Amino acid sequence: MTGVIQTIVLGVLLGGVYALAASGLTLVFGVMNIINVAHGAMLILAAYLTFAIWTHTGLDPILAALITTPAMFGLGWLIYQLLIRRIRQAPASTSVLLTFAIALMIEGIIGLIWKGVFRAVTPGYFNDSVKVGSIYLPTARLYACVTAIAILVLLWLLLTRTWAGRAIRASSQNPQGAMLMGVDVASVAALTFAIGVATTGAGGSLISVLYPFFPASHYQWISRLLGIIVLGGMGNLTGAVVGALLMGVAENICAVYISVQWVTAVPYVVIFAVLLLRPRGLLGARTREDVAPA
Amino acid sequence: MRRATPERLAFSALLVACFAWLVAYPLYSHNQYWQNVLFFAFLFAVMASGWNIISGYAGYVSLGQSAFVGLGGYTTGIIATRAHISPWWTIPIAAAVAALVAALLGVVVMRTRGHSFVIITIAFLLILQLVALNWASLTGGSTGTTLPLTSYPREWQNTPFYYVMLGLVLLSVLMTWAIRRTKFGTGLIAIREDEDKAGAVGINTPVYKVLGFAASAVLVGAAGGVYAYYLTFIDPTGMFNILYSVFTVLAVLLGGRATVWGPILGGFLIELLREQTNVHFGASSLNLVIFGALMAAVVLFLPRGILPTAAAWFVGRRTRGVPGVAEGALDLRPGLALAARPEERPAESSILLAADGLVKRFGGLRAVDELSFYVREGTITGLIGPNGSGKTTAFNLIDGMMRADAGEVRFEGRRIDRLPPWERAHLGLGRTFQITRLFRQMTVLENVVAPLRSFSLAQLAAGAVAGHEVERAQELLDFVGMSRFAHAAAGTLSFGQQKLVELAQVLMLDPKVILLDEPAGGINPTLIERLVEKIRELNAMGRTFVIVEHNMPLVAELCDPVVVLARGKRIAAGSAHEIQRDPLVLDAYLGEGWTVDEAVTA
Amino acid sequence: MILALEEVVCGYGGGDVLQGLDLVVERGSITCIVGPNGAGKSTVLRAVSGILRPRLGRIQLEDTDITHARPHEVLSLGIVQVPQSNGIFPQMTVRENVLMGGYPLRRDRELLKRRYAEVSELFPIVRERGPERAGNLSGGQRRMIEFARSLMVNPKLVLLDEPSLGLDPKSLKAVFDNVALMNEAGKTILLVEQNVRIGLGAATHAVVMESGRVRLYGTSREILDHPEIAELYLGGHVARDAAPA
Repeated sequence: MTGVIQTIVLGVLLGGVYALAASGLTLVFGVMNIINVAHGAMLILAAYLTFAIWTHTGLDPILAALITTPAMFGLGWLIYQLLIRRIRQAPASTSVLLTFAIALMIEGIIGLIWKGVFRAVTPGYFNDSVKVGSIYLPTARLYACVTAIAILVLLWLLLTRTWAGRAIRASSQNPQGAMLMGVDVASVAALTFAIGVATTGAGGSLISVLYPFFPASHYQWISRLLGIIVLGGMGNLTGAVVGALLMGVAENICAVYISVQWVTAVPYVVIFAVLLLRPRGLLGARTREDVAPA
Repeated sequence: MRRATPERLAFSALLVACFAWLVAYPLYSHNQYWQNVLFFAFLFAVMASGWNIISGYAGYVSLGQSAFVGLGGYTTGIIATRAHISPWWTIPIAAAVAALVAALLGVVVMRTRGHSFVIITIAFLLILQLVALNWASLTGGSTGTTLPLTSYPREWQNTPFYYVMLGLVLLSVLMTWAIRRTKFGTGLIAIREDEDKAGAVGINTPVYKVLGFAASAVLVGAAGGVYAYYLTFIDPTGMFNILYSVFTVLAVLLGGRATVWGPILGGFLIELLREQTNVHFGASSLNLVIFGALMAAVVLFLPRGILPTAAAWFVGRRTRGVPGVAEGALDLRPGLALAARPEERPAESSILLAADGLVKRFGGLRAVDELSFYVREGTITGLIGPNGSGKTTAFNLIDGMMRADAGEVRFEGRRIDRLPPWERAHLGLGRTFQITRLFRQMTVLENVVAPLRSFSLAQLAAGAVAGHEVERAQELLDFVGMSRFAHAAAGTLSFGQQKLVELAQVLMLDPKVILLDEPAGGINPTLIERLVEKIRELNAMGRTFVIVEHNMPLVAELCDPVVVLARGKRIAAGSAHEIQRDPLVLDAYLGEGWTVDEAVTA
Repeated sequence: MILALEEVVCGYGGGDVLQGLDLVVERGSITCIVGPNGAGKSTVLRAVSGILRPRLGRIQLEDTDITHARPHEVLSLGIVQVPQSNGIFPQMTVRENVLMGGYPLRRDRELLKRRYAEVSELFPIVRERGPERAGNLSGGQRRMIEFARSLMVNPKLVLLDEPSLGLDPKSLKAVFDNVALMNEAGKTILLVEQNVRIGLGAATHAVVMESGRVRLYGTSREILDHPEIAELYLGGHVARDAAPA
C-alpha cells in the first residue's frame, strides 16, 4: 500500500511542475488559437540557460527562474513581433508549421552552443529527500513543485483579477467583439504569447533539476504537454493543472508497474483516449451549440 | 469551364517537357548522386500529393503523413525478411496496409477536428514509432531490420527504384486529378468548408472522409515499401520520421494546397532545399537552424504557395481595371419558373413530419423541453416564439445536426431521429440556417451543385459538375435572382445574398419538406415579397414548408397553421388569426399592445 | 453634424465595396441606412468604427479626422458599434460581458459600478441572467447583452448593425424603445436596417444606398414619401405600413 501511495505522491510532485510547463501552452492556444509546437523547445532552452547560470555562477537552479522567466518573456515578445504577428489570420496548418520551424531553430541553436549531449543540473540537495511518515519526498521535486504552484497561483490571479487578464480572456473568446470594446487585440496577443513563453522560463529551470536533457528532448516534452492540455481541455488553465497531475501520476504508475520502456507512450495513449471518448477534455467548455459559432 | 489560355497551354507543355526529361535522365546520365536526389524528390512528391487529398481538399491537417511511409516500409521489411516474395507483391501489400490503417484511423478519429486532429496525427506517428522501437521481436527494435537485396543486375544500380518511384508520382498526379473532377473531390472540399453543413445537404461525410484517408495513404504506403528496399536498412526513427511529415506539409504549402501540381512542385523544391543545406552545412545543428529559418520564411512570405500565387498574378494581369462583383443593385427581372416536378398530392392531407416529446439539454438548460408538434403535408407551417424558445434547436433535432436526449421525430410515418443528417436529406428533408452556412471558398454555382440527393459508391466517381446539374443550378439561381453572382466566391457575398444562395442550394435537394430558419432576416423588403411569392409557388407544386420567422406580417400572410413555442414547449397552435389573439402568446411573445397588422392580413 | 464621410472608397480586398461614398449624420438624429443586399451598408459602419480602413476619402467625427483611427481610438472618441452577430464572449458570464463594455473606463471603479447599475436597469436580462454563461443564451438574448454592453461607455454615437436581426417582436419593441430612449438622452444613432418598416419608423433621417454610393438622403418622412424610391427599394406597400404608430 505504501508503495502505491509513494508512487502517486511522486507523480503528483512531478505533475505540479508539468502543470506550470503546460500552462503557457494552453494559455496561448486559448487566446490565440495557436498550438505553439516550439513550447517544448523553449522549455529545453530555458533548462540549458539554467544549466549555464548554475555552472558559471553556482546560483541555485530554482532561483535561476528569476532570471530565465523574464528572459523567456522577452524572447516570447520578440518571437511574436517578428514571426507570429504575421500569421494571425492564417489557418491552423500555418501556425503549426511556423512554430515547428521555430522549434527546429531553437533545437539547432541549443546544439550549436551546448553540443548535442545530455546535460543535468545537480545542486547540493539533488540526492536528498524528506521523509513524511513512511513516504519519501525527494527534496528537488518538492521544491520544484512548490515553486510551480506559487507561479501558477500568480498567473491565475493575473488572468481573473486584472483588466489585462479580462482583456486576454475576452480576446480569446471573440477577438472582433473585444476589438469593439476598445481592447487592443494585437498588443493583448503579444502580451499573451510573451506570458505563455515566460512560463517556459520558470518551467525550464524547474525541470532542469528533475530530468537530464539534450537538444532533441523537446519532442518528448511537447508530446507530454499536448497530452496534458488535451486531457484537461484545450485552452483551459484549470484543466491543464488537473491534466498535468493525472499525467504525472500515470507516468509514475506506468514506470513502476508496467515498464519504463513504455512511459513515453503514456501521453500518446492519453491523447487518443481523450480525443475519442471526450474530445473537449475533462474541463473543456460546453455551451449552447445551436447558435452559429463566432 | 476553364478555357485554354496561353498560360495554361504553356504550363502543360512545360509539364510534358519536365516529365520527358525525368524519364530520359537515367538513360544518359549515371550520376548516382542526382538520381538519389530525384528519388527523394519523388518520395516527397508522393507524400505531399497524398497529404493534399486529406488536408488540402478535406481540410484535415495532418502531421502524421510519414507514418504511412513507416507502415509501408515495415510491412515490406517484415514480409521480405521472413518469406521470399517478390517486391512486386510486397509493395502492393504495403500500400494496402497503409490504406487500411489510414481508413481505420479515419473511423477512429471521426469526431476529431481542427487542432485536435493535428495533435492526434502527431500522436499516431510517434506511437507507431514507439511500437516499432519496443516490439523488437517483430521489427528488430532500435537496431533495425536489414532487407534482402532485390534481384536485378547490379550494374543497374538504383535506377529501377528511380523509375518505380517516378511511376508512383505519376499515379499520385492521376489520382489527385481524378478526385478533383468527381463528386468525391467536391464532397471533400465541402467537408473542409463546413462539415456539418455538408451532412445537411446530403453528403455522406463519414464515407467520404474514410475513403479520403485511404486515398491519401495508399500510394504513400507503396512509396514506403520502395523506400525500404532502396535503403535496404530500416529503423524506427528513420522510417517514422516526424521531420518528413513536416517536409510534406511544407511541400504542399510551398507548391500550393488543393492544387494538382502544387504538391509535386513542392516535393521537388523541398528536396533541393534539404540537399543544399545538407551539402553546405552537413547534418549538424546549423543545418537545423538554416532549415527552420527557410521554413519560417516560406510560411511567412509565400502563404498561398507558388502555383496559386502565379495563377493569381496571371489572372490579375488580365483583369486589371475590371471592377469586382461585390456590389449590389436590385435585380428586378422576374425569376424564371422552376420546373414543376409532378407531385402526387394525397386527397386528404396527411401528417408528413412529426416531433413527439423532444428534449434537448445544454448543461442545466433545457432548450427543448417535451416539444411535440406535427406538420401536415402541403402546408406552410410557421414556428414562432421568443428568442431562446428552442425553435432553431428544434430544427437541429429534426434535420439531425443534433441528437435529441429524448423523444421521436417521424417523417412520412417513419422514425428518423436516429438517422444521420445526410440520410434525412436523402429522404426529402431540406433546411436553411439562421446565420447562413455556405461553403465560403466555393463559387456560388459550386455551392448550389454540391447537395446530393442520394448516396452510392458509384456517385463518388461521377463528374463533379455535370451538365444537367449546372442547368438546374442556374435555373435555381435565376429563381432567387442571384445568377449574376454564379462565379463569385460565396464568402464574398453580403449576408442577404448568402441567404438567397442557401435557399437555392436547399432547393437543389428537391426536398419534400423545407425548413427555413428566419428566411426574411437580413433580406430587403422587395426580395421578401419575391420570397413569399416563390414559397407559395413551390408550395403549390407540392412542397411542404416549416418556417421559423419573427416577421409577424410575413408569418400571418404565409403560414397556416402557426405553432408557438416558449421555453422549449409548445404553448399554442392554430391559424395566424387565432394565435394573435391568444393571451398566452401575447404574453410570451408578441408583447403588450400588439395589434394585428390589418394592412397585411387583409 | 456629428459625423461626415467624404468620398470614401473601401473594401475587403476583392474589389471596392464603397465607391466614393458621401454621408452626413446630424447631431441628435437617428439615421437609418437602407438599401438592397450587398449595397455596402454594413461596410459603412465597419469603416467608421475602424475595423476596415478606407483606401481613399475622409471620415470626420465632429472636428477630428478618424479616417485612419484604430478601433479602440474610435471608441475612446465616443463611437461604439454593436456588430451584426456574434459580439459576445461566450465563456464569460453575462455580468462580465457587460462589464467588458466598460473596458475603456477600467480605471474608474465608481463610474463603472454606476453605469452597470444603469444598464441593468434598462435591460432586465442583465440582472436576471447575470451569473450565467453568455454562451448559453440564444441569438436574440445575446443581442440584448450586446446592446447593454455598448451603453457602458456612454457613447456620443452608437452604430447599430441590423438590430432587428433575429429578434422576436417583443424584444424588438424593447430594443427600438431603447433606441428612442438613447436618442432622447442625447445620443446620435446610425443604424443599418433591412427591416425598413421598423428602421424608418424609428428614424429621423434616412440614407438610401445602392452599389456603394448614396442614392438618396433626407428625413425619413421624405424618403418614405418619395414615390419612385419607395417602389424601387423599399417594396411597394412599405411606405403605407411604416407610418409611425
